[in-house]
Amino acid sequence: MDSPAPQARGFPRLELWDPSVPQEFMQPKKEINDGSDLTRFFTTNAYRDIGIFLMQLNRSLCPRKRPDDTVQTFELSRKREDSQSVLSLQALLGRVEALIDDAPPDPGPRRFGNIAFRKWHELLGQQVAVLLTEFLSREIMMFGQDMGECFVKEDTEEAGKHGVVGPFAELESYFIGSFGSAQRLDYGTGHELSFLAFLGCLWKLGFFKDDTRTREGETERSIVLGVFEPYFKVVRRLILTYTLEPAGTHGVWGLDDHFFMPYIFGSAQLTRPITEEEPMPLEGSVPGAPKPADVTKAATVELYREENMYFAAIGFINDVKKGPFWEHSPILFDISGIKDGWGKINKGMLKMFDAEVLGKFPVVQHFRFGKLFSWDVDPNAPAVQHTVHTVQQPVAPKSSAVPGVGTAAPWAKHQAAPPMSGAAALRAQPAPPNPLYSEASIPASTGEIPGPLPRGIPGTASAQHSITKAPWAA
Amino acid sequence: MSDLDKWVAQLRACRPIPEADVRELCHKARELLIEEGNVVTVNAPVTICGDIHGQFHDLMELFRVGGDVPDTNYLFMGDFVDRGFYSLESFLLLLCLKVRYPDRMTLIRGNHESRQITTVYGFYDECLRKYGSANVWRYCCDVFDYLALGAIVLGASNTLSPASESSAAQEYADMNLEVEVCNADGVSTFQFPRQSRSLTSSSDPQPRGSPNGSSSTAGHSSPATGNKTGPPGSGASGSSGGSVGNPAGAVLCVHGGLSPLIQTVDAIRLLDRKQEVPHEGAMCDLLWSDPDDIDGWGLSPRGAGFLFGADIVKEFNYKNDLSLIARAHQLVMEGFKEMFDASIVTVWSAPNYCYRCGNVAALLELSEDESGLGVFARSNGDVSRSDGGQEKGRPNGFDTLEGPARRYRVFQAAPQDSRGMPAKKPVADYFL
Repeated sequence: MDSPAPQARGFPRLELWDPSVPQEFMQPKKEINDGSDLTRFFTTNAYRDIGIFLMQLNRSLCPRKRPDDTVQTFELSRKREDSQSVLSLQALLGRVEALIDDAPPDPGPRRFGNIAFRKWHELLGQQVAVLLTEFLSREIMMFGQDMGECFVKEDTEEAGKHGVVGPFAELESYFIGSFGSAQRLDYGTGHELSFLAFLGCLWKLGFFKDDTRTREGETERSIVLGVFEPYFKVVRRLILTYTLEPAGTHGVWGLDDHFFMPYIFGSAQLTRPITEEEPMPLEGSVPGAPKPADVTKAATVELYREENMYFAAIGFINDVKKGPFWEHSPILFDISGIKDGWGKINKGMLKMFDAEVLGKFPVVQHFRFGKLFSWDVDPNAPAVQHTVHTVQQPVAPKSSAVPGVGTAAPWAKHQAAPPMSGAAALRAQPAPPNPLYSEASIPASTGEIPGPLPRGIPGTASAQHSITKAPWAA
Repeated sequence: MSDLDKWVAQLRACRPIPEADVRELCHKARELLIEEGNVVTVNAPVTICGDIHGQFHDLMELFRVGGDVPDTNYLFMGDFVDRGFYSLESFLLLLCLKVRYPDRMTLIRGNHESRQITTVYGFYDECLRKYGSANVWRYCCDVFDYLALGAIVLGASNTLSPASESSAAQEYADMNLEVEVCNADGVSTFQFPRQSRSLTSSSDPQPRGSPNGSSSTAGHSSPATGNKTGPPGSGASGSSGGSVGNPAGAVLCVHGGLSPLIQTVDAIRLLDRKQEVPHEGAMCDLLWSDPDDIDGWGLSPRGAGFLFGADIVKEFNYKNDLSLIARAHQLVMEGFKEMFDASIVTVWSAPNYCYRCGNVAALLELSEDESGLGVFARSNGDVSRSDGGQEKGRPNGFDTLEGPARRYRVFQAAPQDSRGMPAKKPVADYFL
């Protein structure tokens, strides 16, 4: 890597807040209202923190070379000593899943998404305050507040009078946002991102400090394998129970109808082993790993889906889709042809996530910003170049939308459009949705198409060009 | 073999034609489409199809079930592209058939036949991947702008011709069916005879809005006289009949539905359609709206178009002397769904949509009226021109015209065994 590592040797970790300092929190707000807001987003503390936390979790899953030359891998099924904090979150997710029993799918006429999901979401909304209070420690709920005043949902009005908002407001917002849209009866990568933010908030508030294990990455590994995977399981059950639609879709030309992060974490689990000092490998696989090509073999996928998050995600696709894999999932099929191992795939997934999730207006327009994931500009953020990608985003959403399902107009206000496009899209960005619909928004007839985005997830070659100083550069 | 026949053959084999040929094909298609009105007139018999969404193998299955072109006269109601793997092959084949057999193939525009939508929902990505440049996408989008917005079917009979050649025509005529549902092998699975109006009351509530889930398993059924229940989920009521044997009213075909800005079929004819689908206005609504169990107009969850209720449909049909509106645009698990006393039907032709929805698909056949009265006696939407289309003796509520006899052929996704695994393509830049 040709960039000066900002924290020599030390790989960036999400900063912990000091509990002894009084903190202000706020009700998280939507800030990304049109395409041009994306430019600012890339310079915010929130963008930086999302990146740091994701990289931190990603790195923890990479197999480790131990001093005695043994290699340690981190399968889903491997026994872990999860800390109390992780166990609490598992219990929380269990309770959330159990709400399904109280909102059975509606047997009546429907198109696709089941309206009973609205009932489920309503139950979640009613119980979230109680659930979070029950499973998160008092220290977290009262973080940075005057002792004796703990404002949870019921107290919001009261809190408002005092002009005080506790961390609950932010935790609740991300948590509720993690389980799909009741309005649209769909689920997509924006919801997945919200769960990452929820865990990131907890990290910052020191929730995971109870983990006394000292080995590098152990806490993070527990978070991914012990919280994220159970979360994916709950969401998969929601998708199956209520036939939730993909939140916008490129059809077969997207990576996956609903998820992205399992492909990041799952590929990390299979990369070439590293020592605690080494950066993430950019290629290579751990000895004994299934081959990337094995994802096209249903039987092999069955074999590994209980061990590996990538295979678990593919297994779910195989569960719900009928037809040739290469046809319904051509992007994953092509990726299965990569010869340089899971390290290469992991690196690519991170870059793709940056461009296709964090870089896509239809996805991140729904992200809310508070104090923990803040819209404030990070003074160390590099200048973001105006790319065609950012300037051609919608200028301002015009129409309003109400509950329903089906193809949404990309300019519809509340409608999440596809998070991920076919891989080819990065090479050549078409004119994205533009409510003006002018001829000018159509790619020029010369066929000249803008090149790849200059941004990228640090730790990758392209990233080094544009955000060498990004705090989350490994 | 002409170029055109060569292209048809190649596309039928699911192989894209070279970029230069696409350009030429699109040019020819545009010259043809530019001559069409916004509302194309189509004479029965005709087979009406809904969304395809790039499901090429299922389109082949549709042709197997519905008959090949040019033997069968087809009308496709848009949404040829996006979501599926073969938007390109599907659209180009339909376009080729249109150019080759212009009188046997009618294509109207869906909301996905748009630059903006195709960049979000997959067709753009597909073209780039298959050709390495966006040129073909651009040629296709230029054709989209010329597609008609709707069609009027004239001369549809209110009796059905036999579902297969093995049945005697007279036998069918005697049964006087209003609705028949057939499976992919042409076997009739449900029949519903037309009821005489005197036997029924038109105010009876209909099972509107319910899914026609059991239609494929209902088996042979001959409801007793006076039974007003059509195929489950169909609006077949038996209450819409006039005297048997009179020609059915005209059928309007449109991708989405109605618009609050459009009161007459003539108003559609006056639109300037040769443009990208606008974000609002009449043209947008025709391609985006959905019928719903509401009164009047409602806001659409899609962020474009509107929701419209039974009262809107009935008034529109009455004013325009239509007996039925056929539209697509919404996934229907059972392939078709009649609503509002059979005044409007949704036809969906993409089985197991997106490889996961588990739905069946359907096409709608309207037979030709052979009484010799049909085409001349019925309106094609020109009704009341002389009085501005406004005033007309209006009974309480709008008596719906007797609908044409309707045969739905329901089919499943094409078997996959014939599809070999292709070579892996180079991955995106992210992975280089």
